[in-house]
Amino acid sequence: MAMAFLLDLGRCIGCQACSAACKTGNELAAGTQFIRLIEQTRGEFPDLSGGFTNHRCYHCADAACVNVCPTGALYKEDGLTRTSRDICSGCGYCVEACPFGVPEMVDGLSSKCDGCADTVRAGGEPWCVVTCPSNALEFGEREEIVKEARERVTAMRARYPKARVYGEDEAGGLGVVMVLPDDPDVLDLPVDPAPGALINTWTGIVQPATLALTAGATVAAGVMGVIARRNHMLELKALEEGEEA
Amino acid sequence: MAVQPGPNGRVKLNITRRSFLKAGATAGTLAALGRPTGSLAQKRPGAEIPWYRTGTIETTYNNCDMCPWRCGVLVHTVDGVVRKIEGNPADPKSRGMLCARGQGGVSFVYDPDRLQSPMIRTGERGDGQFREVTWEEALDYSAAKILAIRDTYGPESLAIFGHTSGDFWFTDYFAQAFGTPNAAKPSSSLCLSPREEAFKLMTGLAVGGHEPVDWDGLQCLTLIGSHIGEDARNTVMQDFSNAWARGARVVVVDPRFSSVAAKADYWLPIKPGTDTALLLAWANVLIDEDLYDAGYVADWVAGFDDYAGHVSELTPEWAEAITEIPAETIRTTARVMAENRPRSAIMPGRHVTWYGTDTQRMRAVYAINALLGAYGRQGGMYFNKSAYLEAYPHPPFAVAGSSGGCSAEPGEESDELPLGPSGKARADGARTSFLRGATAMQELIDPMISGEPYPIKGLVTYGVNLFNSIPNVPRTVEAVKELDFFLAVDVLPMEHIAWADVVFPEATFVERYDELWAVPYKTPFISMREPAIEPLYDTRPGWWMARELGIRVGLDNYFQWETAEEYLDKRLLSVGSSLEKMRAQNGVIVQSGKPYLEDFGEASPFTTTSARIELYSEDLAQAGLDPMPVYEPTEEPPAGFYRLLYGRHPVHTFAKTQNTPLLSDLYPENELWLNQRRADEEGVTSGDRVWLENQDGARSGPIKVKATQRIRPDAVFMVHGFGQQSAGLSRADGKGASDTKLQTRYKLDPISGGAGMRVNFVKLVKEV
Ligand code: SF4
Ligand code: SF4
Repeated sequence: MAMAFLLDLGRCIGCQACSAACKTGNELAAGTQFIRLIEQTRGEFPDLSGGFTNHRCYHCADAACVNVCPTGALYKEDGLTRTSRDICSGCGYCVEACPFGVPEMVDGLSSKCDGCADTVRAGGEPWCVVTCPSNALEFGEREEIVKEARERVTAMRARYPKARVYGEDEAGGLGVVMVLPDDPDVLDLPVDPAPGALINTWTGIVQPATLALTAGATVAAGVMGVIARRNHMLELKALEEGEEA
Repeated sequence: MAVQPGPNGRVKLNITRRSFLKAGATAGTLAALGRPTGSLAQKRPGAEIPWYRTGTIETTYNNCDMCPWRCGVLVHTVDGVVRKIEGNPADPKSRGMLCARGQGGVSFVYDPDRLQSPMIRTGERGDGQFREVTWEEALDYSAAKILAIRDTYGPESLAIFGHTSGDFWFTDYFAQAFGTPNAAKPSSSLCLSPREEAFKLMTGLAVGGHEPVDWDGLQCLTLIGSHIGEDARNTVMQDFSNAWARGARVVVVDPRFSSVAAKADYWLPIKPGTDTALLLAWANVLIDEDLYDAGYVADWVAGFDDYAGHVSELTPEWAEAITEIPAETIRTTARVMAENRPRSAIMPGRHVTWYGTDTQRMRAVYAINALLGAYGRQGGMYFNKSAYLEAYPHPPFAVAGSSGGCSAEPGEESDELPLGPSGKARADGARTSFLRGATAMQELIDPMISGEPYPIKGLVTYGVNLFNSIPNVPRTVEAVKELDFFLAVDVLPMEHIAWADVVFPEATFVERYDELWAVPYKTPFISMREPAIEPLYDTRPGWWMARELGIRVGLDNYFQWETAEEYLDKRLLSVGSSLEKMRAQNGVIVQSGKPYLEDFGEASPFTTTSARIELYSEDLAQAGLDPMPVYEPTEEPPAGFYRLLYGRHPVHTFAKTQNTPLLSDLYPENELWLNQRRADEEGVTSGDRVWLENQDGARSGPIKVKATQRIRPDAVFMVHGFGQQSAGLSRADGKGASDTKLQTRYKLDPISGGAGMRVNFVKLVKEV
């Protein structure tokens, strides 16, 4: 069953309780954060508007990080992008591939929000959702979440006529369905974050080679991995530039 | 439903907060998961077993000590280690949620910088040279010093400053038993006093700890400088968010585009120091346009005609010239406030010691609420009530308490100041340099230096960050040098610890029992604190220290109990409960309140002479002060200077949490909010580091510039509590700038004794 977060950027007041709850519930190392609050300001004093974006893993349905991961350490489950750090090879492709810049390498392994897979499987909610004092975060079946998001948007239109749902279909449908008080670009979110041909090309051509490398040459992987990765990043860049041209 | 009582009154962990969606709300009890299996069991670097699978989870009841709000929490331990603190869903304040600071509680407990052993000074004051001693020696030594002061000067010559949730034991209980009226809390004269005195003058009532906005039905909220969301009081954020989402109108008056200003329907970027003019003009519109609640005013308000006459000329046009808010905006917002009455109120706010004219400004705030008919009306302002709970029986106190504070129960202002055993009243100048209110902490500093009206020779601080809360730090340093004895009780080696003669390291809130907390609220309640783990290192609970010290200075009659449990059970008996029963009821006892006018029947809830809300104050008139609020201009910043504003960040509290690892990780240093245009003129950009120098040449820094559109050009803003100087604080030491060190002056509020701190100006000095 596809699950999803609701993230209501109308309600979110930037208090960072989610971020702190995530850090303490998951006992993240110093310097590591799965959720970052970014202040957004538009206009010039005193004609201003603004709010916060809640930068975190958006759990894309068609997730670039999953597509590039050679070991299956990143995978989809219940609509969310899970991580299994035990089988992460540390190649770092996910870090480069994510269009939102989410995964980070911590102790040489990929590290990002996995939707509190373990506690959720046990019937609970993610730590951030449990604590959010503003009710800006909810978690549940994606269908229900989308419904709730639409209701919130309808209610919010009285105040913010441009209010809209974001992530219902964007990028193939995000696992974080957002309620936006304004257009996405006003909040520094991509208007159309389509996963597109780039990642498909990557998956089809580059990844199989990487997989062979990882499986075959454990001893050489340290050195080779770095070289291979650098090469692949150059390839990726070339592909990117090719696309833009 | 999220907490299930287990054996021994323990509860099992269940992280589901609410039943939003069925799939998400399946009751999952983590504690029942048992040992990990499969890949989770393969512990390897970077892929640790989650804490809740490493053993049996035990849960204890507590209230959070990361800010004075004290949300009820569940403390989860595994194998004697605190791993997670969660909101207690049964607690009326937390309702199962916590703010970032509350989430950082575990990190506060295991901060490796904590004070670990009692210490006695060996070097000069300020050197920070100590030897570790036994509790026996530390207590005997301190008791001898305190007795020497009492015998030479009288008990009044010992001052006790206390803050945070254990302050009761020193600032209230020990002080009153010992006989010193010079016990003070920063939460009074450095924070709430003007708001409390204004309300008492007008209604006879206390605002109380929890600002009694009746959020549930509120339709229009007005904030004067309150920055909800940055001031992260959990319950207030919850209530605000719900009211906002319901469509309640929001008016925010703030020189800064705060997080909550960004959610407002109307943001009024007022010129700092001119709020009273705006409030008087609002009253002018409400009366002039006949928008006020005439029926309510006839029944419950005294002095209306005087007030109407007083504001009749104070038009929006008059206020526009002062506040820089367009007259039309003043009219529009007054109309919005009135359209929604009585479900419309100005929130009293919290830290209100700004300009020394603060009690008058707060009276102007309450006058608007009275004109809107908000007091005692649903959706307006409710009347809070204290929870009923008898004190532990003790001999009569040697002196009545007057320290006030944000958790104080509504007290009476007696005409006569309480006298200590040797016949001396408070040394803070109450009744001479200011009229009334709780003991003013900052006014007790001078007597330490001058010996006037009588010498203060001893000081005990409990959880007060002495050099990062009281303005005019050079004076405080000088005062500390003059003391015969200085005992500091704290969890961390804060800056002033280096100046203490004796240091008592305290156990944190999860390591101790504490006084029960009877909370004034719409539904009054009693909250408990019990230890989750034994005190770490050689630390002890505050109640234990106060008792041991008390017994040594001859106060054994006041400390008749042997254990904290015995003390707490005795008090709980007065409400038919016990610790055991409280645990079985999710750690909280909720009583019923009397929130609305109708709950008083024919009687008046107001305890003034007229039994109404008094817009005109006889008391003030008799004291030669303005009987109705008057706008008094405040000094303007000289050329090249900005007014120094300060406030909160959602992950920090006062000058207390800057060193907490998790919170320091989220916000390690403060920033200087500087208007973008000004930044361009000054030639600085975001991220540049500058020093700040104030009007008296005091410097603090370096601090990172945050060039932003979000603030007026005539003021700068920084988060309070940074710029601490203490080598023992490995994370906070030297981070950012200290607003307190730049507040070398303050303006005394002649009514409440509050220290107005927004009268300081700074200029930028580029780092060389
Ligand atoms: S806890 Fe909620 S309100 Fe606070 S920052 Fe996170 S999402 Fe926003
Ligand atoms: S508001 Fe936050 S820090 Fe304050 S008591 Fe509640 S959870 Fe703790």
